[in-house]
Amino acid sequence: MGINPDLKFIKYIKAAGGDTVKKCYQCATCSVMCPLSSDEKPFPRKEMIWAQWGLKDKLVADPDVFLCHQCGDCTAYCPRGAKPGDVLGAIRAYAYTHYGFPSGLAKLATEAKNLPILIGIPAIIILVMWFISGGMHLPEGKVDFGYFFGHWDFKYLSKNVLFIDIIMLSAAGLAAYSAYKGISTMWGKMAEQLECNPDFKPSCKQFVLDFLWPSVQEIISHKRFNECGANKSRAKGHQPLMFAFIGLLLLTGYSFVAKDIFGIFIPSLHGPIPQWNPFKIIGNISAIAMLYGIFVLWGNRAHEESVSGTKGTFYDWFLIYEIVAVGVTGLLSELFRLAGVGSLAYISYYLHLVSVMMLFLYMPYTKFAHLVYRTFAMAFEKYRESSFVSVKKED
Amino acid sequence: MTETSGASGLGAVLVVGGGISGMTAALEAAEVGKDVFLVEKNAYMGGRVAQLNQYFPKLCPPSCGMEINFKRIKDNRKIRMYNTTEVKSVSGSAGNYQVTLETSPRFVKGNCTACGDCAEACPIECDNAFNFNMDKTKAAYRPHEMAFPMRYVIDAAACDKCGKCVEACKYDAIDLDMQAESFELQVDSIVWATGWNPYDATKMDNLKYNDSDAIITNMMMERLAAPGGPTEGKILRPGDNKEPESIGFVQCAGSRDENHLEYCSYICCMASLKQITYVRERYPEVPIYVFYIDLRTPGKYENFREKLMGDENTHFIKGKVADITADSDGGVTVIAENAVTGAKIEQKVDLAVLATGMEPAAKGQLASLGVTMDDNGFITSDADKAMLSAGCAKKAADVVTSTQNATAAALKAIQVSRR
Repeated sequence: MGINPDLKFIKYIKAAGGDTVKKCYQCATCSVMCPLSSDEKPFPRKEMIWAQWGLKDKLVADPDVFLCHQCGDCTAYCPRGAKPGDVLGAIRAYAYTHYGFPSGLAKLATEAKNLPILIGIPAIIILVMWFISGGMHLPEGKVDFGYFFGHWDFKYLSKNVLFIDIIMLSAAGLAAYSAYKGISTMWGKMAEQLECNPDFKPSCKQFVLDFLWPSVQEIISHKRFNECGANKSRAKGHQPLMFAFIGLLLLTGYSFVAKDIFGIFIPSLHGPIPQWNPFKIIGNISAIAMLYGIFVLWGNRAHEESVSGTKGTFYDWFLIYEIVAVGVTGLLSELFRLAGVGSLAYISYYLHLVSVMMLFLYMPYTKFAHLVYRTFAMAFEKYRESSFVSVKKED
Repeated sequence: MTETSGASGLGAVLVVGGGISGMTAALEAAEVGKDVFLVEKNAYMGGRVAQLNQYFPKLCPPSCGMEINFKRIKDNRKIRMYNTTEVKSVSGSAGNYQVTLETSPRFVKGNCTACGDCAEACPIECDNAFNFNMDKTKAAYRPHEMAFPMRYVIDAAACDKCGKCVEACKYDAIDLDMQAESFELQVDSIVWATGWNPYDATKMDNLKYNDSDAIITNMMMERLAAPGGPTEGKILRPGDNKEPESIGFVQCAGSRDENHLEYCSYICCMASLKQITYVRERYPEVPIYVFYIDLRTPGKYENFREKLMGDENTHFIKGKVADITADSDGGVTVIAENAVTGAKIEQKVDLAVLATGMEPAAKGQLASLGVTMDDNGFITSDADKAMLSAGCAKKAADVVTSTQNATAAALKAIQVSRR
């Protein structure tokens, strides 16, 4: 079998934080130091040589690339400063773009120079929606974001809810479709690497119960994150952040069910959710947890870059800034609303909508994509070890 | 003799370090008629080579090359030899260096016959650094069985001056009141042959050197295999003296590593291969595992490697050991990834030998004496300044290369007084 090095891929990896990839001399210290790598198929030594050779097809079909939590134990002990952890991060960044649909949007979300467009798309869409809605002025009186997109006396669905749904459901829908497409392609490529009988597949129920759900449990408990040695404090930021997202998802879900579904019949459910509502309490705690978590991760990354010379990349910082933007604008909107400062509250709310839409829309292409890709890679790892895949005979 | 030029008018050469390189440089300069001062900080000459069991690749004992050098030094009136002596300061310039040296007290005078009565009388035991603390000596001791000069020495740190050795000595050769002495030398040139130290194995925290007696260094292996070593040449596991039933060699322990020694120490692959022959002599069948990044056996050493790789009970695994765990049975498990098969290996062995590299002994110490060093602490030879380096003070090298570059340093040194 001939080897066909993809030089462009190597250049991409070098530019995306893996500038040290060529320093690796294959001593395999990293594979032993990695607390997450398995005994049969340890990583990241093999990924390093594949990356040096530009074998991108092997890499994007390699679950180990996504199983890496970039805890940095390999990098700390690397005798050549090849920083395998950072190289694998760069490979993941490449993979998200590689699997991203539509590819134009996926490519757009990889470079800092596209930032004006990346911010511009949601900013303009929401502004245009605001014009269409006929809101177009900051509502008078008591601050109520339910009136941002104006108000009608239409009985069934409030005007605001309709517009929010149009914007966010389509952004989230596109992201969900893209993620689904990406993951199924990835799963297919990964499965091609295995020797298994294609007729012998788990049922949907088996897949969820045996592979996906145990992976989700591991993620929630941060079991793997906590095995990391060199960079333990990242789990301290990541775990609250993850719970914050779950909490805010609960609040959003509650709000959706209450306002968009029951609200059709019970109009009194519209308007701000009272502070004593258990879901609102969860949401408020989550907002604090989100800001706490993201600032821990911010500090951690800044520290890594200043101390160990990790190269700062758009890939890493874009997600941090996005989450900070969502957290800060969300909190400001609520505080200004409670303080009754209408103009600032509505401006914050607008910015909050923009940042939330960015988070949704670009999820499958940015670092945020690890949310789905790593989860499914972990499920794949369990699948790989299961009886569905024939055990390769030792020769 | 035609020594006419040279600022000092003497043309003398100072050689710092009495190992194989220093002795070679001193002899080469003296045998063409230069006055040579050979100073050594230990109580004996021979340095690291004196600690070896055998040289590679011919596998002869070090006494073979050392004795002839000792004899040449003894017979050469041009060489003045100082043990337990260190350089304190250097001033002046090429052709005219004033060097201040200090001799620490040996407490044993020149009329010592090495009868050993003092050691027998001495009540104090201390760790034997020559054998890497694997056994004990008395505070009054003979440095090793072929020490040159063949005289006892008293460990100033351990001795409590009880005087029992003074009473025991038939020759009145012990003087416990001996003081440190400073003296000055006027020389044209200085050859730094300060040698090397084995890299401190405790610095590789993942190799857990301190966790188990079953983890030893390659230099400890030399002493275990040496007839004059702590086990009289038997290779036994320190601590419980078990005959090892399996042995692992951990190559590049600290070498080729930015976090430790960033360079290749040059000798460790050959040293481990050589040590496999020690093991085979004593244990013809035990399985041996060699974990390496690359096997570096340059030039004619390739033949040596090929021969040893033919041993069917010796397994060569491409993959650096990155973790060692101590087992309850006294052995250890060495962990590596086999980079050829891509699988992790956890190999249980009774004895793990860390092939620790060479760290220049003068690292970070001689800058105040006008010596220039590279980033790794190796001394740069500067013929214009008449500051030369030889042997492993210059670069990580084997004995052959060391004696070659020591001869080269001697040539540069004698040229200074002819400018």
